Amino acid sequence: MGEAAADKPGYSVPGVALRGVVSALPARRVTNDHFRAAFSDAEIGDVVKMIGVEARHWVADGETTADLCQAAAVRLLERLNWAPSSLDALIFVSQTPNQRLPATACELHGALGLAPSCQAFDVSLGCSGYVYGLWLASTLILAGCRRVLLLAGDTVSRMVDPADRGTALLFGDAGSASALEADAGAAPIQFVLGTDGGGAKNLIVQGGGFRAVAVDARRGEAYNPDHLFMDGGAVFSFTLKAVPALVRDTLARAEVGVEQIDALVLHQANRFMLNHIAKKAGVGPERTPINIDRYGNTSSASIPLVLTTDLAERLTGAPMRLVLAGFGVGYSWGGAFLATQPLGCAETLTL
Amino acid sequence: MSAFREGLAEIFEIPPAEIGPDFSLIDNNWDSLAIVSVIALVDECENLMLDGPALAKCETVADIEALIAKARGD
Repeated sequence: MGEAAADKPGYSVPGVALRGVVSALPARRVTNDHFRAAFSDAEIGDVVKMIGVEARHWVADGETTADLCQAAAVRLLERLNWAPSSLDALIFVSQTPNQRLPATACELHGALGLAPSCQAFDVSLGCSGYVYGLWLASTLILAGCRRVLLLAGDTVSRMVDPADRGTALLFGDAGSASALEADAGAAPIQFVLGTDGGGAKNLIVQGGGFRAVAVDARRGEAYNPDHLFMDGGAVFSFTLKAVPALVRDTLARAEVGVEQIDALVLHQANRFMLNHIAKKAGVGPERTPINIDRYGNTSSASIPLVLTTDLAERLTGAPMRLVLAGFGVGYSWGGAFLATQPLGCAETLTL
Repeated sequence: MSAFREGLAEIFEIPPAEIGPDFSLIDNNWDSLAIVSVIALVDECENLMLDGPALAKCETVADIEALIAKARGD
């Protein structure tokens, strides 16, 4: 694809422009005080010191990722003045769909009033999902689509074990909508993608699928298969190994030095981890936005949520050179380098 | 190894002088948060990536130091 260099991992996709991004947060804001009933101040303090989460937004009963993404999409289309009928594809990236079938993307297609010729499908990825969504949207445009709507979000709060302090405080809920369009003048977007299936069992919700729930000695007898299980140590070692290399490979693919990028936008996994990765990547804190203190880890929505909060003003005001890096559940990872022109819209809605 | 021991003292929130080879991890809240902190600390001080499950089995500071020596190929 494009000027693919055989000696470098990854892909270049020319002719694709990001036009706008909107994130949507549920109304309910939950601060760390909420957890005082379940954990001591010392237990909460330990976790907060590591993960850095002070507050997060959680959905109300009956509110889903699709609702958040729909609200974001409606606002985005309105701001860009895009008629729903002008879209050629809708991609919904989430691990918290409305149901097992049909694809939530098809429901959203109906709710947004898109054209019968518009394709719509789901992608089941989490922390790496936004970068994979950009990759898919970009390749659809390379294949002939003109306009693609990428919806990415999760409501992990619905899956955490409230008694597991490692995960109960970490996650927040959010949805996002991003608009991509064919543009012959756009600089190629560079992608580096990868997977390590050996890590599947380390970050998992076994319930809701069709394979019998496996026994895993790391989980207690009382383990509920509908709850998220995370082996924090294993996931952390994976991240420290994989992500600095991902950032390096993405920069090499784009043939830019680390000093030439305006921001390194990392999946907001855990503050301690982000600081460590930024240091290893040679990017200072001033170019590594962190919003996990305000929103928690929002899985597939975390990268767009950084774009619409900490970077919104700059993204709408001037061109930017960004490296995005998503990594985690799978294990799966994706890096993207993109040079954006001023976006038509970058905003965060609180419903 | 001193930067490593100072880092450990910070993780366990105790004076550095109290960190010796016999310091008991299991008596000092050796949970997943402490383990990931040590993984990052060793990555920073020694440029080595310790294996999470192997680290979780350590009971004392000497056990961690043995693991580092092994990872280094000493």
